[in-house]
Amino acid sequence: MQVIASAKGIKPYQSSAWRITIIFSALVTLIIGTLLFGMYRQLMNEQELQTDQHLAAEKARYQQMALTLDRRSFGIQVKTADPKTALVVWRNSFDLVGALSLMPDDMPMLPQTREFPVLTGGPDKLHILTGGLVMTRYGPVLIATRTDQLATLIDRFVNAAITAMMLTIVLTLALGYLFSKAILRRLVQYNRLSRRIERGEYSTRFPVSWRQDEFDMLASKFNRVLDTLENNLTAVRGATDNIAHDLRTPLSHLRIGLEQLPDRSCEELPEACAILTEKLDHCLATFDAMLSLTRIEEGQQTLELQELSLKVLCEDLFEMAEAMAEMNQQTLSVTTGTDVKLTGDKYLLFQALFNLVDNAIKYAGEGAHIEIVQRDREIQIRDNGPGIPDEAKDRVFDRLVRLDPSRHYQGTGLGLSLVKAILARHDARVKLMDNQPGLIVSITF
Amino acid sequence: MKILLVEDDATTIEYVVKGFLEQGHNIETASDGHQGLLLATSMKYDLVILDRMLPQLDGLKLLAALRATGSQTPVLILSALSHVDERVKGLRAGGDDYMTKPFAFSELLVRAEKLMQRGFSQPADTELAVGNLVMELLTRKVTLDGTELMLQPKEFQLLKYLMEHPNQVISRTLLFEAVWDYHFDPRTNVIDVHIAKLRRKFEELGFGELIETVRGAGYRLRQGH
Repeated sequence: MQVIASAKGIKPYQSSAWRITIIFSALVTLIIGTLLFGMYRQLMNEQELQTDQHLAAEKARYQQMALTLDRRSFGIQVKTADPKTALVVWRNSFDLVGALSLMPDDMPMLPQTREFPVLTGGPDKLHILTGGLVMTRYGPVLIATRTDQLATLIDRFVNAAITAMMLTIVLTLALGYLFSKAILRRLVQYNRLSRRIERGEYSTRFPVSWRQDEFDMLASKFNRVLDTLENNLTAVRGATDNIAHDLRTPLSHLRIGLEQLPDRSCEELPEACAILTEKLDHCLATFDAMLSLTRIEEGQQTLELQELSLKVLCEDLFEMAEAMAEMNQQTLSVTTGTDVKLTGDKYLLFQALFNLVDNAIKYAGEGAHIEIVQRDREIQIRDNGPGIPDEAKDRVFDRLVRLDPSRHYQGTGLGLSLVKAILARHDARVKLMDNQPGLIVSITF
Repeated sequence: MKILLVEDDATTIEYVVKGFLEQGHNIETASDGHQGLLLATSMKYDLVILDRMLPQLDGLKLLAALRATGSQTPVLILSALSHVDERVKGLRAGGDDYMTKPFAFSELLVRAEKLMQRGFSQPADTELAVGNLVMELLTRKVTLDGTELMLQPKEFQLLKYLMEHPNQVISRTLLFEAVWDYHFDPRTNVIDVHIAKLRRKFEELGFGELIETVRGAGYRLRQGH
């Protein structure tokens, strides 16, 4: 809930999806950049290699020519050399012969090369040449080749690479932005719905789409939580109404009694006060029962654990309840089997079991026979009274539920809830069965 | 008997002090934990009645501090915390008895007197007598106006408790504690049923009015004729 609540007002660039996008984008850029750089290096090397090979071949050719041709023929060869193959300049004794009108100083000897610029009359006035000197019989010859076309190619490659990188970054970021916006849209929707729940509209549910993605799983989980919550709230509301009834009735009697007290005669006064005290005590008992029920149900009450014997527990139950049954013209009997010792809160367990026996005595009616039966880890409390209709069997353990609508018997309506809570704390199972006629309450530890 | 009441609620103080003074006891009060501890350790009392939640020093801490000084003064804890485990905590901390608010003074008086008598070794009575009702403790023989009564064990214990406190109103809770070893509010008429059986046996001899029901409070054994 907290996460969703804080999603309100979040910008797409603050979301976790955006962070992932940034990382992803950086990673992709790095990979593409590395690839492009590798390609660039490869291209440069290849270019150098080709230039070097080309120049080396030319060098060999001119050295060979110098050896086989006379000075004049050599000059002609140099002059007529195809500028597409190589640009050749020969400095003879008085002139420069060849495709270029200059021979830069400090040119290295091949295979060392140097780049140098030349001006031409053509549309691209400045050209970059790469070349080196060859010593021949007739003096130094400069052999050069145009590399600026390749350089342009490399420039274009670099430009293309930068564009590609930029596009990658922009595209991944844009996609990531849209992606996180889409996620946020769902979160914001969740947020809006949880606001409604916060306001008390507990019937609100999160939408679940057919896609069954992680959001749908989250939504259906939340919906289940909301179902439970709503059920509990309804139960509490019902309980509150019952509490209001259970406490208000005696409290209003009390109020009436107090109001009438001054009008009473002196002889009536002690009796009237005593009746009011009794009513007040009943309110307090209900109140206490609610408190302790809540404490036991929520596990706040620490159990006083000790070893206890189920057989002794049943015998104590019989001893305490026998006179009560007798008073109602009922018979109570106890049957015990092999004794079982277990660890538990003796007082709480006794209280729970006594509540059950007490209920049997109260509701089984005059002349009924009530049995307390202990067999191994099971205790049964059986009666042959009217029993409980099947459809009510689940309900009787709920708080403040009383099957007797007239509320003829004085009680808090919490007895069986307390029984259920205490037995649950002891990991005992309680089951209601039909005794045909009558009721069997079976508790298995 | 000299009693110290450590309590911060004025209404409770007034109620308790008035009650004990009427019974002829000497009672002093402290309205916070520190003052209470100071008085309890510097003076000699026969009983300390201690509220559980006090300003400055919590009742249980006060009790622990008092017991740490080696004091054996009986302590009765009076508390608005009614849960069973609170009672256990109180008794573990060195309390001798535990009572929850709201309470009836009659019950407080019975508990207080019981704790105060503990300090004095009573001559081992072998016989209790209230009016024409006589109980021989060793033989467990009970006679009413010379006629022997046949009592069941629980009836015997109930009657014994009532005979130990003649003319005093005894609450159902006190009787329940005295007869059964289980501490819980039974919220049923289990005590009434046993008293009714006892009373019927008295009625047969014409003394049905000996055990008096006090509405909203409990039972009282009358001194008789």
